Amino acid sequence: MKWLLFAWKNVLRNRRRSLTALAITAVSAAAILVSSGFALFAYEALRELSARDTGHIILAERDYFEGDEDVPMQHGLSGAPALAEELAALPGVRAVLPRVQFSGLISNGDKSAVFIGSGVLPGLDFRVRGPQMRFLAGEPFSVGADVPGIVIGGELAKLMKAKTGSSLTLLAATTEGSLNAVDVLVRGLITVGVSEIDKRLVLTDIAAVQKLLLTDKVSTLSVYLRETGATDAFAARMRAEHPELAVRTWLDLAFFYQAVRALYNRLFGMLGFIMMVIVLFAMTNTLAMAVAERTREIGTLRAIGASSAEIVRNFVLEGVLIGGAGALAGMALAGAAIVFLAFAGIQMPPPPGRSTGYPLQVNFSAWLYAATALSVIAVSALAAYLVSAKAARKPITEALAHV
Amino acid sequence: MTPGAAIAPAVRLTRVKKSYRVGEAFVQALRGVSLEVAAGELVALTGPSGSGKSTLLNLCGLIDAPDAGEREIAGVAIDGCAELQLTRLRREKLGFVFQSFNLVPVMSAYDNVEYPLILLGLPRAERRARVGDALARVGLGGLAARLPDALSGGQRQRVAIARALVKSPALVIADEPTGNLDSATAAQIVELLRSLARERGAAALVATHDERMTRYCDRVLRLVDGEMQDGEPR
Repeated sequence: MKWLLFAWKNVLRNRRRSLTALAITAVSAAAILVSSGFALFAYEALRELSARDTGHIILAERDYFEGDEDVPMQHGLSGAPALAEELAALPGVRAVLPRVQFSGLISNGDKSAVFIGSGVLPGLDFRVRGPQMRFLAGEPFSVGADVPGIVIGGELAKLMKAKTGSSLTLLAATTEGSLNAVDVLVRGLITVGVSEIDKRLVLTDIAAVQKLLLTDKVSTLSVYLRETGATDAFAARMRAEHPELAVRTWLDLAFFYQAVRALYNRLFGMLGFIMMVIVLFAMTNTLAMAVAERTREIGTLRAIGASSAEIVRNFVLEGVLIGGAGALAGMALAGAAIVFLAFAGIQMPPPPGRSTGYPLQVNFSAWLYAATALSVIAVSALAAYLVSAKAARKPITEALAHV
Repeated sequence: MTPGAAIAPAVRLTRVKKSYRVGEAFVQALRGVSLEVAAGELVALTGPSGSGKSTLLNLCGLIDAPDAGEREIAGVAIDGCAELQLTRLRREKLGFVFQSFNLVPVMSAYDNVEYPLILLGLPRAERRARVGDALARVGLGGLAARLPDALSGGQRQRVAIARALVKSPALVIADEPTGNLDSATAAQIVELLRSLARERGAAALVATHDERMTRYCDRVLRLVDGEMQDGEPR
């Protein structure tokens, strides 16, 4: 405590210089926290999107994910209703949704286009997807209508000159290799925020799709858990209990999430590194001046019995104090930025390939704040060590003669 | 120490030599100097500038190493000691008083005097007692909280003396301790140094140009061109 007080008094010797170092440290820490907080927000949002899209766990027939199909649903999953019922009864499971992936042509009689579709259970499926899928017009279709209802991407609707209530025809290859068609009624127009998907997207009743494809199989069973954190444990359990199935987690299929994460980790990692270098330079500069000014004092303290290590420790404590105060100020700045952005409602422009923007938000993470503060303090201590070690080892007679 | 055993001198130098290279020149600062200062003795070291006084003090204070010769501090042979051992000896056995006081400006008088005791690892209560006593003995009991900047030159040197003696060292090294003081204050400081050193059983080796100072010393040594002239006991 005595040494800390001594260090604090030394920090206050040249207040302007210490304040400058503190300000640089604070701004650097805040920059790291805000940028990393933004990355965390992006990760969380993308994780949520990915998990909502695919489900936390995806179960399929063993060759579904890697094998090529000669005919549709060749690697489809049989006995899905019973398995879905079994899974839905497990603790921590929110919903189990069967899906049939299919593709073909969609036609309005005058014009045809390729579509990529999913057969889904409408009520539950639209609910779990949440805000990731936004209705532009209309509403979800209902099950068991005479003419099956569909929702299609807004871009596809433009292409087909369709609106809610329009009749269209879906053509697809069946499991037997022949072509089949079904007339459908457009019930809603949707967007998932990616225009390339919106140009192809068709969602319809799973029963109608199975009828179209002449199958009772499903492509996958998507298991939605109450906690995303339980994903790995649940996947391990599924692999153990159902070795005959292919089990994937949302992360395995979240290619966009993984790409963004890899990019942001590098980007913001580099930014953090640069900020730490700036802190190192600022602290080195400040403490080097302090060491130079106090060389004679160092000699005096060594003469009266302080060891080199004790001299270095004093400077390191000064670095820790400035770095610690800077880290605290940086955390306060970052906290203020979080509050400001939460109320300011600033929108980011749509990312490449997407048609909708997203709110600029910065997440708080206790772990991130602790790691940043510790890093800033460690870098400050390192700077203090680097500049004071040589001076502390200088011959005492030289140090005492320093002017 | 066993009863009847001779008390080791505070410092003993035997045929100590020291030379420096200053640019292209080679300066022989000490040419085989021998010296012995007994415990409780106050010895003045005089001589013209460049005679080697400061070099001799540095060697006695263990802040410089000789090229040749032997050193002992309070019976401990020095040469060959590692830096850590030298640091421990400075910490335990030696006190320093500098011409420019060399107090730490951000520390109060109390903190400056306490510093060597913290290095010794003494408990807080003992430190408090010793510092209070040392400051009282130099007449600064009421100014303990003052920073050096708020003290006069004489008061600062008193703090420096208290800092040097608070740990009851075997030897106090004082390099021109009155060099920055007026005559009256200088006399008080030397008198104080002598009485406190005697009181605490410490020897003091004082380098000075001030001939008036020597009257307070037990012995005056004169160093000329790196060689000791005969000392004159007083």
